[in-house]
Amino acid sequence: MENPELLSGIPLLIIGIIGLVIAFGALGAPERAGASTGAVRVASAHPGPAEYVRIGIVLGVITAIEVALYYIDLSQNVLISVLIVLSAAKFLLVVLWFMHLKFDSRVFSTLFATGFVLVMLLFVVVLATLDGALV
Amino acid sequence: MAQAHAAGGHLETSTGLDNRKLLMWLFLGSECLFFGSFISAYLLYRDRNLTGPYAADLYDIPFTSVSSFVLLMSSLSMVLALAAIQRGDMRGLRIWLICTALLGITFLAGQAFEFTEFNREGLSLSTNLFGTTFFVLTGFHGAHVTVGVLILLSMVAMEARGQLTPEHSLQVELAGLYWHFVDIVWIVIFTLVYLIQPQ
Repeated sequence: MENPELLSGIPLLIIGIIGLVIAFGALGAPERAGASTGAVRVASAHPGPAEYVRIGIVLGVITAIEVALYYIDLSQNVLISVLIVLSAAKFLLVVLWFMHLKFDSRVFSTLFATGFVLVMLLFVVVLATLDGALV
Repeated sequence: MAQAHAAGGHLETSTGLDNRKLLMWLFLGSECLFFGSFISAYLLYRDRNLTGPYAADLYDIPFTSVSSFVLLMSSLSMVLALAAIQRGDMRGLRIWLICTALLGITFLAGQAFEFTEFNREGLSLSTNLFGTTFFVLTGFHGAHVTVGVLILLSMVAMEARGQLTPEHSLQVELAGLYWHFVDIVWIVIFTLVYLIQPQ
């Protein structure tokens, strides 16, 4: 590539795409059955302890993979892209299961996704216009 | 409209949602921007230093990895505390709340150790741009964890006095939302600040 600095935009692009996927997923999802609608809160719609423990184990394993990747001699752009995807996976697991966005009203998802999309825009705009980069 | 208590334990609202939970999500949405600004500033300024020490000379990735794991597991214990109160298991609630607070305190102790080590290596808030942005970002995160620990300990005290019953599960859920948010902020910080370093 003639301008290698353009490669630093790839991770930013990944972050932006992940943000948009989360936002549109939240805005476009149908109202979940058992969500907090009407006057009735259905706590039983949340997963049980066994599922939470399974999610916790997955989170621990992903963290171990991230740290292992840090010590493997990978190209910087591949490393950054993989780390961001793994980090996004952990983020989504916590938000969707532990914070119950997967099971609660989509109004909550919309509020959170709005802040998240704005911050993704902030990342891209600030780093792009002020010559910032992830690497 | 908002007069009668609904079956879910909150006042009836025009949205059908508990306003306290709505407010918490709105707050968390705004917190995204709060931390996003600091993370952007860090990424922008970390390698524009006139003097050292630099990030690569200071970071202890194995140590921070353990801290990150501790905070992740505190999220697990927090959600188990919520599951306990939702099924009326107050002993389980007490155990998991204490466990979460202890894990949070462990994380804070690790952060205090890290800050002390960095300071011993010559990095302070005013040493260089890396120091300024790093300490502001992680310091504010640590402050949030501290507030979370205080909330958890308050809940343990309330439970001990019998002021926290299964009817108050929403309070534990709100505390949990805050705690999980602090955790996801660290997930982002761990990757963008610690694991991804300039070459």
